[in-house]
Amino acid sequence: MSVGRATKTHPNKTTDQMTPTPSNDHLATLLARAGLGDRQAFSDLYEASKSKLFGVSLRIVRERHIAEEVLQDSFVKIWHHAADYAVAKSAPMTWMTAIVRNRSLDIVRRPAHEIADENDYFALNMPDDSPSMAEQLASKRDQAEIVRCMKALDNEQNSAILLAFFQGLSHSEVADKLHKPLGTVKTHIRRGLLRLKDCLDGQVNEGGGA
Amino acid sequence: MKLDHPELQNRLAAEYVLGTMRGGARRRFEEYLPDNPSLRDAVSQWEACLMPMADQIPSVTPPERVWKKIIDRVNGIQTPALARINQQKTANRRTGWRFFDSLLFWRNLGISASTLVVVLSIGLFAGNSWQAHEPMMTAVLEEDGVARMVIEQPKADMLMVKMVKPWKTASTKSLQLWVMPKDGPARSIGIINQDGSTKIRMQDLSGMLDNGLSFAVTKEPFGGSPTGQPTGMILCKGVIATMPPKPSKRAAPPLI
Repeated sequence: MSVGRATKTHPNKTTDQMTPTPSNDHLATLLARAGLGDRQAFSDLYEASKSKLFGVSLRIVRERHIAEEVLQDSFVKIWHHAADYAVAKSAPMTWMTAIVRNRSLDIVRRPAHEIADENDYFALNMPDDSPSMAEQLASKRDQAEIVRCMKALDNEQNSAILLAFFQGLSHSEVADKLHKPLGTVKTHIRRGLLRLKDCLDGQVNEGGGA
Repeated sequence: MKLDHPELQNRLAAEYVLGTMRGGARRRFEEYLPDNPSLRDAVSQWEACLMPMADQIPSVTPPERVWKKIIDRVNGIQTPALARINQQKTANRRTGWRFFDSLLFWRNLGISASTLVVVLSIGLFAGNSWQAHEPMMTAVLEEDGVARMVIEQPKADMLMVKMVKPWKTASTKSLQLWVMPKDGPARSIGIINQDGSTKIRMQDLSGMLDNGLSFAVTKEPFGGSPTGQPTGMILCKGVIATMPPKPSKRAAPPLI
């Protein structure tokens, strides 16, 4: 399990990157028990995932008090839908992250002030290969896969997808940010996503890397 | 909007999960989801693809007040079935249900967790329709403290088994459900599905369960135990909890 990953972060933000990512099995058990009404499990689930999920929301909604609301709403939803979780058959963190992201995207009212900084989309946006990053992710297959596949995309596709995903930007916001026409950005995103999925599905011979 | 074309579904699901689908389109898309399994599958696939990226986002600790508010909201919604059980404080339970209302509930939950889990699990099958469905008995079957399945008896001759956390069992084996009586050998209830739910109908079910202490599931050769008794190892087990009798639905109106 990687602890203290070498992510390039915004220096002004209070982050506690020492939080290890909890194991999927542990979270799945907590989620199953929460689904049966076990409140201690629900409490443990919150403790294990709150910082990750708060970080996810904060990146999209950008204001702490809104991110707090998102986290609240999301965990109330998780409590009521935990019993459905097994049916969904996705990794627990995937399931919870999707809930938090969806709520963030529902609630977000993009403020007039623009997005933090260019370094903000970090880690994956690395045309120059970073072996340390790759090594640290090696034990985490899903992340390693997506890093590899994101890197295999064209730069334009990569940037547009990362901006949309990490910052919750709409097509036109991505277009503004990248100084590209809206139609071009839409195409980059659409094609990039399809290539990404092909790569993750292993349907395409990815070659040696972009 | 016609959404039955796989390519269109795939494209929309991708934009939805990525987050570039916004506003009204996003809301309409969400309205389609409940009735559209293939669209839901597409969304799940894209979530599995993209969500691992979120692990790159640095953690940020939320303030304490968030959890307090979550708890307030969760506590505010007490299900009717639970409220009724609370009131009854039935004699056949060791736990004092007033703990539900106290801080002690939170601190001491570990002690009584299995009992609580059993009671709180009602409604796992019923969704929101609590009052329409109150089982006669229920059990949570665990393996090393992990809940694997929940069993309810919605009617005298029917059992519902819901897999909470399926095993990756080889399909050449069968999962067989047994009732373990207070005394005497295990009795077979039947083969259960390895995933999802299983509905079992048996004429003499209540008779079997009356004398039953717990359920157990074993892994058996395909089609079930050849001997009529468990031959494989016990995968999970759980104590049967008989539910308190239901009070009459319509309470007499106040006279005054």
